[in-house]
Amino acid sequence: MPSLNDFGHDPLWISIIKAVVIFVFLVLAVLFGVWTERKLISRMQHRYGPNRAGKFGLLQSVADGLKMGLKEDLTPSGVDKVLYLVAPLILVVPAFISYSIIPFGPVVSMFGVKTPLQLTDLPVAVLLVLAMASLGVYGIVLAGWASRSPYAILGGLRSTAQVISYEIAMGLSFVAVFLYAGTLSTSEIVAKQAGGGTLDIGSLTIPMPSWYAIQLIPSFLIYVLTMLGETNRVPFDLPEGEGELVAGFHTEYSSSLKFALIMMAEYVNVFVVSGLSITLFLGGWRAPWPISLWDGANHGWWPLLWFFIKLVIVFGFFVWVRAALPRVRYDQLMALGWKVLIPLNLVWILLVATFRALRVDKGPVVFTMLAIIVIGALAVYFYFDTANQRRREARAQEIQQDFETLADAPALGGFPVPPLDLPHYHGVHSSKEVTSGSN
Amino acid sequence: MELYVPILVLAVLAAGFAVFSVGIAPFTGPKRWNRAKLDAYECGIEPTPQPIGGGRFPLKYMITAMLFIVFDIEIIFLYPWAVTFDKLGVFGLVEMVLFIVTVLVAYAYVWRRRGLDWD
Amino acid sequence: MTDTITAPTIEYLLLSPLLVVFGAAIVGVLVEAFAPRYLRAAFQVPLTLLSLVAAFALVIFVVVKDGVPNKAAAMGAVAADGPALFIWGTILLLAFVSVLLIGDDFVPSAVAVPGSVEEERAVSEGAAHTEVYPLVLFAVGGMLLFAASNDLLVMFVALEVMSLPLYMLCGLARRRRLLSQEAAMKYFLLGAFSSAFFLYGTALLYGYAGSIDLSKISTSLSSVGGQDSLLFIGAAVLGVGLFFKIGAVPFQMWKPDVYQGAPTPITALMASGTLVAAFGALLRVFWVALGNLEWDWSPVVWAVAILTMVVGAILAITQTDIKRMLAYSSIAHAGFILTAVVATAGAKQNSLALSGILFYLVAYGLTTVGAFGVVTMVRDPGGEAWHLSRWAGLGKRSPKLAMVLAFFLLAMAGIPLTSGFFAKYAVFSAAVSGGAVALVVVGVVASAIAAFFYVRVIVLMFFSDPAADGPSIVMPIATRGVVGFAALATVVLGVFPQPVLDLASKAAQSLFVR
Repeated sequence: MPSLNDFGHDPLWISIIKAVVIFVFLVLAVLFGVWTERKLISRMQHRYGPNRAGKFGLLQSVADGLKMGLKEDLTPSGVDKVLYLVAPLILVVPAFISYSIIPFGPVVSMFGVKTPLQLTDLPVAVLLVLAMASLGVYGIVLAGWASRSPYAILGGLRSTAQVISYEIAMGLSFVAVFLYAGTLSTSEIVAKQAGGGTLDIGSLTIPMPSWYAIQLIPSFLIYVLTMLGETNRVPFDLPEGEGELVAGFHTEYSSSLKFALIMMAEYVNVFVVSGLSITLFLGGWRAPWPISLWDGANHGWWPLLWFFIKLVIVFGFFVWVRAALPRVRYDQLMALGWKVLIPLNLVWILLVATFRALRVDKGPVVFTMLAIIVIGALAVYFYFDTANQRRREARAQEIQQDFETLADAPALGGFPVPPLDLPHYHGVHSSKEVTSGSN
Repeated sequence: MELYVPILVLAVLAAGFAVFSVGIAPFTGPKRWNRAKLDAYECGIEPTPQPIGGGRFPLKYMITAMLFIVFDIEIIFLYPWAVTFDKLGVFGLVEMVLFIVTVLVAYAYVWRRRGLDWD
Repeated sequence: MTDTITAPTIEYLLLSPLLVVFGAAIVGVLVEAFAPRYLRAAFQVPLTLLSLVAAFALVIFVVVKDGVPNKAAAMGAVAADGPALFIWGTILLLAFVSVLLIGDDFVPSAVAVPGSVEEERAVSEGAAHTEVYPLVLFAVGGMLLFAASNDLLVMFVALEVMSLPLYMLCGLARRRRLLSQEAAMKYFLLGAFSSAFFLYGTALLYGYAGSIDLSKISTSLSSVGGQDSLLFIGAAVLGVGLFFKIGAVPFQMWKPDVYQGAPTPITALMASGTLVAAFGALLRVFWVALGNLEWDWSPVVWAVAILTMVVGAILAITQTDIKRMLAYSSIAHAGFILTAVVATAGAKQNSLALSGILFYLVAYGLTTVGAFGVVTMVRDPGGEAWHLSRWAGLGKRSPKLAMVLAFFLLAMAGIPLTSGFFAKYAVFSAAVSGGAVALVVVGVVASAIAAFFYVRVIVLMFFSDPAADGPSIVMPIATRGVVGFAALATVVLGVFPQPVLDLASKAAQSLFVR
């Protein structure tokens, strides 16, 4: 079971080996992640998906990557050259760095050196991920800004607003985990999820689940939402809403390896948030329940496999969501982030903290706090609920009124709507069908 | 400090890869100059002239950015509090309830003044 | 991992004035959020005034009940000692009368471009920025904390809490809006610079002393060796931030522009409350933290004091805008107070100088609020009659008002039988007994120069003919009350200053806690 003390003793060459392995792993994960996504989503849509390059189309992404490398490297004439070139770098590098604190497994012997299967760990490891996510935002802003194109600027601004909004909800959803774990170090958080502890109700002793995803369901659900928002994935992929913004902030990165880098950064970010969700909520590299009965499951190199399986499952979830859900509207997206996730999160944090304080101190102060939180939350909820209800009704009425005035008066700007009781609506028209194009 | 060295290694690796990709791109592809190709893409219409140094952008985004700072700082206060919560006990709880309520006052103000609405 | 962190102790009663002001400000924000527009002012005005009165009462209650505390409160972060309590009372009183001045001086919608359709709509809808009241309360709370903070970081936070609302308030004037917005912008930019200077100085001093606590910095002066450049640069840079806030030359540039552009009640608050708070903080930093370094900073403060007095007095002569003139006079007065800041020697001398400064701050604060109150009363069709030529012949049209203003101006000039005389006497006599005779000579000369432009306004008002379309006099009851109160205070402090002098010297007796 590694803890913070196990880190910082690696010789440099071990660090280099681990860094190279993680780097190669991520590059391959991007290549095959794209393939998996396309294959999976096409299966969900009753298509074949890529199946030309290599067996099962496995080499499709490799071919795409090569093709991008061989395309003309366009730098539009109006762009701010330096920022335009730097932006993809700022996007990519932090995404990779975030992976350095994701634990893949316990301490193993690597070329005779005892070392944990994790590049490094910090007392503030999770903060590093958040910091890197914030740095990545600069890449988005600068890419949009440097492009000097309306689509790119709008896309960049939207993307930034979205990412920073969801970053808050994401950061808040971790707090409950830290309350339980008492540390920000990822390896120790994984360790804390090892034993579930027990709950005593009378004489009954019930073993508690150990994953924070189950112990702290609200936090986990919020995290799942924010992880979709943070990575600009469906249903929150508005920055790339091709119907309105072409390709968002990377409109002007039309071909070549710069676009490949941006694409890669997006996928690496998906793997980062997936890896983080596994580490913080899904037990990390530790084997899930039936497998964990086998003693060797959490030792040696096996945990790599469990981690990888979990990663594939979480990534599969991303794809599944993409296949299943439509894109939301931008105001809905921001409303969800600011008006639902943040207040919910804060109230949930306070509730968790109060119950945790109740375990050590059953004094009146804690109960008062509990009462304040519950009553305050309920009051706010009902206030806004009724306010929203009233607003919705007023809005519906207004629309109804508009509709009525406009329906009768095309001159006022209403649509010339044909009367709703025309005979052909009811299948009684007699004329023969007119083929298209004959006019 | 040793804890941070591996991060540096990975950063150098990633940065090297990225710089290499950006740097090699002009040499691997063909070069066929065409004025229209170098214009900003606006679905085929004449590109809108963009002011040098960037133009004005909707104030909404700045409000969002400022709110982000407020809440981000709140998060930064919450993390150490959460980590040491068991040591702080009731005192920590009371203080944090007060702090969050104070932030929520500003949040309620912004909400009521429609600072969170997008149209 | 099992050890527990002991909860800090906080002297809630001692800090209750602060808590009341901040609490009322937060309630004010809630009122803004949830009360319907037509009710907001009806909530805000009583809330603001009552909280200021309650805080003032609490200050008195604390002093009467427990006397003056002799150690810093809130784990050494806030020093609510004698001078601080005196300054709190002063600031709360000045804030109260400044709030009473608030009338229709504020813009209905600050985001609307001046003269635009949006602005017209805001006016016709009856929009109003009642946020002004919570903002004032936040600023006042910041002032209270600024004067009482016992470590540099708390001081910085207080500085920001005080300044940020003021930046915003400056830009909200209803009339001459572009000037007002320009003032807010200038104040914000320069204020941000000075805050950065302050923070940089804090960092350097922390690097030198290993602590941001004022008294620990003081003790480290004798124990740390070999890092004098850190200390000197840090102290100098910190001083820049503080001198900016009191508007001492050469950091005075913002004062005329900001005083001119800001809504007059806010100008009154800044000219009185901010100055008081800034002097509280300045004294604390120079006397408590850097007291043992006196031989190094006192020549600098000498130079600054001389420059401030002379430049303030001379530039005021050339002004044609009444608010700008009062701004330069405020600069000159900051210089007069600085003469006592340098006059340090043993504890007895220090308490003499401190009590002089405290008395000066009360007397000058009330006089200047009264003067700005009179400025709000004299109206042209387009707002206040700012140009001095419009004031010609006011003595014939409205003798009482002109007399009151003349009285305030004489008090600022330091004529006997006004509060200004005893204030100047207290400060200058402290400076003389502290050995700063040369400084006092300059101060007296500067006072004479200053008297010239004060008298010039009086001559203009009484001995020239009124213009045909002269300004009209608007006298809201609250403003009248404020001006009357200020005039009364100026008389009482000028004729019978002993009780306040006693109070000031009692407050100054224990000096600042360490």
